[in-house]
Amino acid sequence: MKTLQLEFYKIKRRKVWLTMFVLLSVQLLWGLWAFHDPRDWELQCGWMSLLYHLSLLDGIMIPTMMAVLASRLADIEHKGNTYKQLETLRSAGSLYHAKAACGCIIIMLIFAAQFAFFIMLGYYLGYEGHPDIKYYLLSYVLKVASNLSLFLLQLALSMLFANQMVPLTVGLGGSMAALLLMFVTTHSLLPWGGNLSASLVRSEWDEATRISTYFYRTFSAAETASVICIFVWIAVFYTLGRILFARREV
Amino acid sequence: MHLSIYKTIKSERLKLKRSPVWLAFFILPIISAFFGTFNFWANQGLLKNEWYSLWSQHTLFLCYIFMPALIGTYCSYLWRLEHLRNNWNSFLTAPVSRISLYAGKLFWAIVMVVAGNMWIYLLYYLCGRLCGLPGVPPEESIGWIVCGILGGITICCIQLIISMLIRSFAIPIGIGLAGGIGGLMITNKGWGLYYPYSLYCMGMRANNPQMELDILPFIIGCIFYIILFSAISVVCLRHHSL
Repeated sequence: MKTLQLEFYKIKRRKVWLTMFVLLSVQLLWGLWAFHDPRDWELQCGWMSLLYHLSLLDGIMIPTMMAVLASRLADIEHKGNTYKQLETLRSAGSLYHAKAACGCIIIMLIFAAQFAFFIMLGYYLGYEGHPDIKYYLLSYVLKVASNLSLFLLQLALSMLFANQMVPLTVGLGGSMAALLLMFVTTHSLLPWGGNLSASLVRSEWDEATRISTYFYRTFSAAETASVICIFVWIAVFYTLGRILFARREV
Repeated sequence: MHLSIYKTIKSERLKLKRSPVWLAFFILPIISAFFGTFNFWANQGLLKNEWYSLWSQHTLFLCYIFMPALIGTYCSYLWRLEHLRNNWNSFLTAPVSRISLYAGKLFWAIVMVVAGNMWIYLLYYLCGRLCGLPGVPPEESIGWIVCGILGGITICCIQLIISMLIRSFAIPIGIGLAGGIGGLMITNKGWGLYYPYSLYCMGMRANNPQMELDILPFIIGCIFYIILFSAISVVCLRHHSL
């Protein structure tokens, strides 16, 4: 617990929150731009369309956001060359665990803020009814899980490489992979496809009426496997990252 | 002055020697080209403008979302060494002018943008041939690349300031990503010429089926931002304390 407290102390005034808030603001601005002036049919299915579009937007932006977050948590140690000293005070594993827990708390808060932002946006736009609490909560849990897996991948890379260009390039490549996966599939076993697999809403575009229909997704066996895969990735990235970090020479 | 610029270019080249930074510019366009070509090939019934349609598929997301962040990565890398330990001291006490110090960094950023765009074009040509498109890419495609390079240099200038002022490696890249996505909205509103991050995709004619661009305002916009951001960078360098 003390190590975790120290992690939050380390990021004090490092503007991690501000960075995340700016990126969330870009999402909100995008929401205002994309959803302003909705038509009648859009008002009827607004809450579902919000969940659908959030998954798409997160799929593109979040891999890079997670790379930025992980890099901010790890680069303080690289810059200060603190590993030697820290590892004489506590085990490498507990240091890694504290960083992972710190990132996990930040992610939970970021997505809570994101959902709050977009729910407020939905009410502002005048969507009919209220958001379906069950689906929104489940969506929140799955979103935190899928992005936690990406964060743990990025944290492992950021802790292992002193040159932060490597993890950030992987983050950018992940964003691109996620974007391109959206064109070809509705679920993926890849870690960057987590936002896609965890999306609870699907859409169908009717070319004749030019209207999108949104509906809650019924998961096939393959789609369920891809959701389970998100949790497998969390376990793999955490365990592998911790082992590799503990074994590296400081 | 000319000699000192040459010296800073040489010293920047030494700093970049054996760094894997070019790999990002090499790999990301390949991913984009692969999926762009796949999308073009799968939707040939809808995308009927041959080389033009292939170009739109290759450049759409690369230009709006990834290139600003990629340029941000490169610019962060150019300033990375200065932000480590006490390197600002040796950087600022070098016997060359501040303009030369900045020019050395800008030169290598421009080199990477030019090389990146040439690579995008080569991939476009190769993928077009693989898809069995007739002939060669249209002549005006050279103009798209040249305008893209000009827009890319504008982004280099703004990212160089951001990376110079912010010590973190990651935050400028996040700003680049946010800037690129913001560019998507602003260009759709028709205000792209006033927003530096939009100039790259406007020059490349990404998401522009008619491939139209008012060249003169575009060039004036690019040159204005390049001069403005370069001047701000040099002023910041002059006022940077040891």
